Amino acid sequence: MATKLVTEKLSAWFGKKQVLKDVSIAFEERQVTALVGPSGCGKSTFIRCLNRMHELNPGARVDGKVFLDGLDIYGMDPMEVRRKIGMVFQKPNPFPNMSISDNVVAGIRLSGDARKSDLDEIVERTLKSVGLYDEVKEDLKRSGASLSGGQQQRLCIARALAMQPEVILMDEPTSSLDPASTSRIEELIRKLKSEITVIIITHNVGQAARISDKTAFLYLGELIEYNDTKAFFESPKSPITERYITGRFG
Amino acid sequence: MNKKSIFFKDSAFKYLVGGASMVVVGFFAMIFVMLAIRSYPSIVNDPLMVFGSTWDVNSGIFGGLPAIMGTLASSAIAVAFAIPISLGMSVFFTEYAPRRVRAALSVVIDIMATIPSVIFGIWGLWIIAPLVKNYVQEPIIGSIGFIPLFSGPAYGLSLFLASLVLTFMIVPIISSLTISLLSSTPAELREAMISLGATRWEVVRHVALPFSKLGIFAAIILALGRALGETMAVTMVIGNSFMWPFSSVSLFSPASTITSKIASELYEAVDMLHVSSLIELGLILLVITLTVNFSARLIITRISRRGATQ
Repeated sequence: MATKLVTEKLSAWFGKKQVLKDVSIAFEERQVTALVGPSGCGKSTFIRCLNRMHELNPGARVDGKVFLDGLDIYGMDPMEVRRKIGMVFQKPNPFPNMSISDNVVAGIRLSGDARKSDLDEIVERTLKSVGLYDEVKEDLKRSGASLSGGQQQRLCIARALAMQPEVILMDEPTSSLDPASTSRIEELIRKLKSEITVIIITHNVGQAARISDKTAFLYLGELIEYNDTKAFFESPKSPITERYITGRFG
Repeated sequence: MNKKSIFFKDSAFKYLVGGASMVVVGFFAMIFVMLAIRSYPSIVNDPLMVFGSTWDVNSGIFGGLPAIMGTLASSAIAVAFAIPISLGMSVFFTEYAPRRVRAALSVVIDIMATIPSVIFGIWGLWIIAPLVKNYVQEPIIGSIGFIPLFSGPAYGLSLFLASLVLTFMIVPIISSLTISLLSSTPAELREAMISLGATRWEVVRHVALPFSKLGIFAAIILALGRALGETMAVTMVIGNSFMWPFSSVSLFSPASTITSKIASELYEAVDMLHVSSLIELGLILLVITLTVNFSARLIITRISRRGATQ
């Protein structure tokens, strides 16, 4: 199995406060990796370092290296990095001033070289891949904000997928959704890994067990344990991991 | 405390605050009624005379069209100048300016908004007028002066100068509102756009500006209202000539506005028809500003309702 994304001694700060300490992980291509850990352990900061969004916060600093296919993303144009490494956020955030179809191609429009007929085709194909097409095909011109929460989140996944990224980062994508919407998105994530590398933060250890191939446990900004999901849950090596997954803290 | 006294206190408070709002409504009604009564002699004398182009006190002809057009033109030009300046400054402020520059800029904007208009008038008269004459009017007249809109001669005092001074007066209004709108753009929408590989400018263009556009429109209308009604500074710099736009359509000609006309003539007017005609111009100004505000409100509710049902 090839590695797609590798971090080496990745550290991050908000002002003087260090929130991430020397995290080194190798993410495997076309696998789902779950990041778990209690609130405030640095999970979000960690994945925001992977698409160079952490550095946008005032006073934020990053140290260490992140390699995408062997190339250091901190030596690349950040816009280019974000086109290759897509992101889905905790709260569904479709653009309210854009229609459903405009939301899907919002990122492609930025590069500005897609033709109208191509865009229509991309909208249809991408919405189908997230299982939203049949629900919205009658009113693609409606505002993206008019959809239900679960539909909005699938629209946001479609928006990220339309860029044909190599990696997709998801920051607790189901935490604001009802159980039915959650299971649809979990199903979608399992399907996505045939084409794409998925890194997903989850608060829900059950979800990590259901959808991921590998699981990483972060605690107080440090990587405590990283293993195949099955082994991670069945025989955790660290006592902290064991306490976390059995629900004794977090 | 028994129930009755609570009720009494509550209803007394209700009448107090209700009374306060009635005072506002009452004042507005009084202004309107006063203008209507005092302009009545001019209206019955000749309802259309105020829309004529000649204002001749000795012959008793009071056509106010140059002032009405001057008001509309100076405000429209000022708003046209102010929109790009204000939007540019607001975008720079919210998206690009380092924290210190931002702090300084925000003080300047606040102070500009509080400068009395007579100060703007003096500044326009002494500082801006010669600059405009030497570095704007003369070169433009010298090069494209054959176009009637830019023809000479280059007086300092002109419709153009008045529009420019108005621009400086309304930029802080539009900017301070636009800045607060742009900076209240939800972070999750900005981040969504950034995560798609957008540059800062693309985030502004596709997220922050669309999110703020209704509010920016309202700010522009507010500024337009201010420009339409501004008296002191305009009277000081517009040249108070009734030639424009009938003898010369040039932006560099001295002109007049409704407010400058009233301010410069009301205290010298003795003839009843003269006074009444000036008041009628005031009534027309009030109608113009009310129309602008009501149509803006209508547009805003239309657009926001359409947004909600989409």
